[in-house]
Amino acid sequence: MSNDLIIKDLYARIGDKEILRGVNLTVRQGTIHAIMGPNGSGKSTLSYIIAGHPSYEVTGGEIWYKGHNLLELEPDERSRLGVFLAFQYPVAVPGVTVANFLRAAINAHRAEEGKDPKETAIPAAEFRKLLREGLNVLDMDESFIRRYLNDGFSGGEKKRLEILQMMLLKPSMAVLDETDSGLDIDALRIVANGVNRLAGPEMGVLVITHYQRLLNYIKPDVVSVMMDGRIVREGGPELALELEEKGYDWLREELTGAA
Amino acid sequence: MTTTLPTLNEISAEMVVARSQSAGEPAWLTERRREAWTAFAQMNPPEWRRTDLSKLDPTTIAPSDGAHATAIQWDPALAAQGVVFTTLAAALHTHEALIQKYMDTAVEPLKHKFSALRAALWQDGALLYVPKGVAIEVPLRLIYTLATDGTAIFPRTLVIVEPHASVTLIEEFTSPDLRAGSFAGPITELFVGDGASVRFVSIQHWGSGVYHLAGQRAILARDANIEWTSIQLGGQVQHIEAETTLVGNGSRLNWLGATFAADTQHLVIAPWMRHVGHNCESFMQFKTVVNDTAYSVFDGMIKIEHESAATSTRLEEHALHLSPKARNDSIPGLMISTNDVLKGGHASTSGDIDQEQLFYMQTRGIPRAEAQRMIVMGFFEPALETVPLEELRAELTAEIAAKI
Ligand SMILES: Nc1ncnc2c1ncn2[C@@H]1O[C@H](COP(=O)(O)OP(=O)(O)OP(=O)(O)O)[C@@H](O)[C@H]1O
Ligand SMILES: [Mg+2]
Repeated sequence: MSNDLIIKDLYARIGDKEILRGVNLTVRQGTIHAIMGPNGSGKSTLSYIIAGHPSYEVTGGEIWYKGHNLLELEPDERSRLGVFLAFQYPVAVPGVTVANFLRAAINAHRAEEGKDPKETAIPAAEFRKLLREGLNVLDMDESFIRRYLNDGFSGGEKKRLEILQMMLLKPSMAVLDETDSGLDIDALRIVANGVNRLAGPEMGVLVITHYQRLLNYIKPDVVSVMMDGRIVREGGPELALELEEKGYDWLREELTGAA
Repeated sequence: MTTTLPTLNEISAEMVVARSQSAGEPAWLTERRREAWTAFAQMNPPEWRRTDLSKLDPTTIAPSDGAHATAIQWDPALAAQGVVFTTLAAALHTHEALIQKYMDTAVEPLKHKFSALRAALWQDGALLYVPKGVAIEVPLRLIYTLATDGTAIFPRTLVIVEPHASVTLIEEFTSPDLRAGSFAGPITELFVGDGASVRFVSIQHWGSGVYHLAGQRAILARDANIEWTSIQLGGQVQHIEAETTLVGNGSRLNWLGATFAADTQHLVIAPWMRHVGHNCESFMQFKTVVNDTAYSVFDGMIKIEHESAATSTRLEEHALHLSPKARNDSIPGLMISTNDVLKGGHASTSGDIDQEQLFYMQTRGIPRAEAQRMIVMGFFEPALETVPLEELRAELTAEIAAKI
């Protein structure tokens, strides 16, 4: 059984609008894989579809992970399989505290078929310990967990909370959609540290970003470029540097020239 | 015993008078009951366009015959500070003048047929009196119950809080599931003195089948403050007319509501904020969830009288639909009779559970049904978190979860 994330010829649309037009991409277990690409090229759409967003209509293709076609699973089943998405725009849920939300998420992961949820629930002391560790690594204040989920959070606070969730859920495949946007340089370093503590031979990471500066902290093994709903180029870390320096036009010209 | 009780159509003014006299009630009260009963007998039912009382049958409503439906929970040691918390029947012997002075001055007894019915037949109930300057930390609790199918109770709560005193009161309506035709007609009156502070949590969580037609009103004196929470979960048909009147200058109201109508429930609430004094502030936020084929109505109102000045007020109503067949009517109103309003605001939202919220929570492994439950709880959280007793909050949480 492969723990690579394998995306095959994925087509997707929303309404009449075709967004993904044949995405082929493999994120190998134990690697950090970056996706770069112009605004509107379909990067967030791809990450949403990996996580199971109901608004997008998948018109073709497959996404394989741990022997499952993810497209056949509910979003929560995908999560419990080890897939995690750090949202570009995390969603606020007023009235639900961060602490209750995190506990519910952890307990959902610990739940076992045929067992009383009370039996598998995380003991309070263990939960507090995990939480304190995470808050510490991300340099977040304790008071944070009593606030309502993403409600009135600053951009940076939202991104930290995404990483906190990732640290608590310990996914085996994490998709980070522009986790760097809205972070100052100190926050960026802290968040990257959170990711790097988890990353390792067991984990695949797909990092979506516009900026090399994140990739200075989270070093990619592979860089893919998405344009107009397709992966148009794949390379090593040097490809990110080249894009940073030259922009996308040269690539676009190369591609149309080649066509 | 229940079979021997007369139903509404069998009761006469003479019986009302005789019952009052045999209970040893003062003459003024007997007279008020007689007058109210006469009005009830003569009046047509009020034209509540959105409240369906067509199945209400006076021949099946038999008023219960005692005060055993009232439970009063408090620390009697507070009596040493002059606090009174006892049944109205008992208080009539000890505090008659006080009761005579305040009773019926907040909730108008002859306003319509049902207010007259309540004023004529009230039986159970309690007086809470907090003397000047006394601050009570521990919440006091008043529980009205209906134990028998097809009977009616008319409980009445009279709260008098003297200047600079403070108190928290929970008023609860609870019963097992009952046959349709069980009836409650409560009256609640609160008088909050100068600089006094009241936290009032009113919880309607009858079992199924109960009709609940209630009148509630708080009157605020100068610099008085009330935090009012209205929670409506139970019964078959509910019509609550509630009002806070900000009479004294500088008085303040913060009013939170939570209504959940499911199955075939039909829950109507009409909370009014009425500004009379100067520099008063009011805020209302009511949340409604409807499920199955239930129907709920929010008929909130801000009324700013001509003698008021420098009013600040805001009304919010938010509704969540869990089923396409459920219906919620939100008809907030604003009546202003002055030019002197400092701030006025209104917001209203209505919709299904937010798909983005559901998706976000599911991507963390939380199953859809659980995510839905958490979102509904979160929706009600502002009102629920004001319920001061942990075990009561847990009970309400379970009742809400069962309706999702
Ligand atoms: N819910 C939606 N409704 C309509 N159009 C959408 C929706 N989601 C995405 N799109 C469109 O699909 C295209 C791809 O959007 P997507 O958010 O995936 O791009 P992106 O590569 O993540 O861009 P960015 O770098 O700005 O985040 C855009 O043209 C966008 O407007
Ligand atoms: Mg994006």
